[in-house]
Amino acid sequence: MNLERIKPHLPWITLVSLVLIVGIGDSNFLRPHNLISMVADIMPLFIMALGMTLVIFIGGIDLSAQSVANMTTVVATVALPTFGIGAALLCVVAGLAIGAISGFITTKLFVPSFVSTLAMGGVAYSAAQYLSGERALYMDATLRDGAFGWMVGSSFGIPHEIFLGAVLLLGTLFLQSRTTFGRALKAVGAGELAAVASGLSVTRIKVLAFALSGMLAAIAGLLFSVKLSGGSPTLANGFLLPAIVAVLVGGTPLTGGVGGVVNTLIGTLIVAVIRASMLYFEIDATMQQMIFGIILIIAIASTIDRSKLRVVK
Amino acid sequence: MYELCKVDKKFPGVHALKEVDFFIGRGEIVGLVGENGAGKSTLMKVIYGAYQPDGGTVTIDGKAVRFQNPRQAMEHGIGMVFQEQSLITNLTVMENIFLGFEQQFVKFGVVQWKAMAVAASKQLAKVKLDIDPSTITAQLSFAQRQLVELAKVLTLEERVDGDLVILLDEPTSVLAREEVELLFKLVRDLTSRASFIFVSHRMDEVLELSDRVYVMKDGAVVDVVSQADARIETIQHKMVGRNVDKEYYREQKQKPYRPDQALVKFDRVSVNGKYEDISFDLHRGEVLCLVGTEGSGREAILRTVFGLETPTSGTVSIKGSEIRKFSAQSGVERGVGYVPRERKVEGIVAGMNVYENMTLSQMKNYSSAGVLRIGEEKDLARKWVDRLAIKTPSVFKDCGGLSGGNQQKVVLAKWRSGGSDIILLDHPTRGLDIGAKEDVYDMVREMCDDGVGIILVADTLEEAIGLSHTILVIKDGKAQQVFHGKPGDKPSLYDLVHYMT
Repeated sequence: MNLERIKPHLPWITLVSLVLIVGIGDSNFLRPHNLISMVADIMPLFIMALGMTLVIFIGGIDLSAQSVANMTTVVATVALPTFGIGAALLCVVAGLAIGAISGFITTKLFVPSFVSTLAMGGVAYSAAQYLSGERALYMDATLRDGAFGWMVGSSFGIPHEIFLGAVLLLGTLFLQSRTTFGRALKAVGAGELAAVASGLSVTRIKVLAFALSGMLAAIAGLLFSVKLSGGSPTLANGFLLPAIVAVLVGGTPLTGGVGGVVNTLIGTLIVAVIRASMLYFEIDATMQQMIFGIILIIAIASTIDRSKLRVVK
Repeated sequence: MYELCKVDKKFPGVHALKEVDFFIGRGEIVGLVGENGAGKSTLMKVIYGAYQPDGGTVTIDGKAVRFQNPRQAMEHGIGMVFQEQSLITNLTVMENIFLGFEQQFVKFGVVQWKAMAVAASKQLAKVKLDIDPSTITAQLSFAQRQLVELAKVLTLEERVDGDLVILLDEPTSVLAREEVELLFKLVRDLTSRASFIFVSHRMDEVLELSDRVYVMKDGAVVDVVSQADARIETIQHKMVGRNVDKEYYREQKQKPYRPDQALVKFDRVSVNGKYEDISFDLHRGEVLCLVGTEGSGREAILRTVFGLETPTSGTVSIKGSEIRKFSAQSGVERGVGYVPRERKVEGIVAGMNVYENMTLSQMKNYSSAGVLRIGEEKDLARKWVDRLAIKTPSVFKDCGGLSGGNQQKVVLAKWRSGGSDIILLDHPTRGLDIGAKEDVYDMVREMCDDGVGIILVADTLEEAIGLSHTILVIKDGKAQQVFHGKPGDKPSLYDLVHYMT
């Protein structure tokens, strides 16, 4: 068995090993109730990571995801009394628009995506600050339950967040593996020049990938805001790093072209188990971002395709 | 003086060098020829220290040596002039020449630029290149850079005792004929300073320059011939184990094209800075070859037909309608297929399998409302794998893992299966071995029989002459001359070169 053959299987092997390790240490961990609530809690992050996957798949990155989610927590909260469930549409459109603008800046103005999305993230953050008056806002409980109660309810003992995540996973999986758009994404990720020489409209594909990432970040923000029954420009802070970690640990490398949304599901579950295990090992919550930072570096260093990337700047 | 004795090298699954004996004397020029994969590159890497042999001995002046890396080889006077130029283009010429050896010009921790410039001028004089050593390398022409590269290697003369052996890997592949002449003259002059190992695909040049020629096949040296005894045909025969002659380009299969059916019309088309005032017609069944040196504008013309370049003036018509919107996408819709030179980067998508690559340009034919009909894609791919005899274990195989010839077949299948009838071939046989080249030539003839028009930028002039009905010679972006070639009545190499340079 050589390493190259094991490599594609590393993500789920890691996941299973982690679950077993934590399970052996704390038998409560493996109880279905505990596992289900752990998965439900990670869903906003998962949805953001799904969007991130599409962008990383074409070799880009979306650093605006967290700010977009922040913004939509505020938009949802502010718009709820006026628009009711229409607030969700507002959030989705806002996310799509910000992502599309990032994509446009990246493809038409040749600004690398880590800069364009960072900049658009700044725009989203300011928008959130302006809309919220820089305060934490709360949703009226009746209004929230009326419009979005279905998001956080529970059927057959399974929280609805999980259904939402599953629907979005299936949707993106279908997009990725069965549609011309998904095929084009793969071509752009694995060989952009060949995609151009095959007459694909690479610009449109890229803009669409960024727009979808923005949209999914917005849905993540909406769900998070409904869960916490409020919004603030900093509510989703701390999402960005684990979302990127989830994609990379799942097996979609920064260079793109391989991996995909199922990998990101596994990556997100790894992130969830690591979070849970930190509770078990009594690691202070303030250490979380540091741990994810370290994991991110390890994940990139160990998965990057060195033949594609000889010089790092 | 430099000798390899029974040198052996194995890689997993490949016996790359089989007990190779090799000798080069002082001031000698030795040619090294062989098909792709014959072991030339491996042998060179052993000589300049990038690979360590598994068996056999390397001796210099009778003393056994073993190099762990190229630097150690350099310390023994062995230098390499790389095919892919190894100069850093945003540094000055002198910085490049002394890259890694600046220490000799350092005083009190500061580089003495004037001293370096003087020393660099001395090196440049050796290669008869009269340029300011503080020129930024990017401003030099390709030929000049090649000479700088040679000058860089010649600095070994001052640094090491004993004789130099310099490897020239395909140094002429992108040079114009007159530049080649200059390079050869220079190399002959330099034999007073060094011995040369000359590796090239251009057999005539190898024979012209070399005192002796080593012929390699399947990792072994199959023959050593001296210049006096060498004949191109016999060497080619030894390289491939078969004759390469007029049949090679399938001239007997060349049929007249249909002059009444124009596919592409260029009327006084220009693209600023690339080419100007180019006119031609491409007809059904015709192979039109654009001949010129690197940078003459050939590629830009292909890219215009495909839609990747927008003309600044003139009109382009495809199948009778004038083109106003230039994009690769609309090019594909008009039936134009582009087979780019960089096969691995632009031709196929490595990481995608055979059927995914084949339908990449025509996904809308295999999808409904954006959803792919993958079963039909596989059927199509299986059909074309059979039809073109593509060697692949299945249609699920990653195209990145196929051989160059089979990758090229996948690219051609992509366009042909989508019904493209204007095919642009940019160096379609570059880097392919002879058998795979012949497959490509066969496909060219078959496509013509099917009424396809082909615009070709050939890898060699022989290929251009052998394949085309019409040859348009271009120099510095301007049309020079048009030749028409029927089987048995083709322009000569000299005719073309005369207008190219």
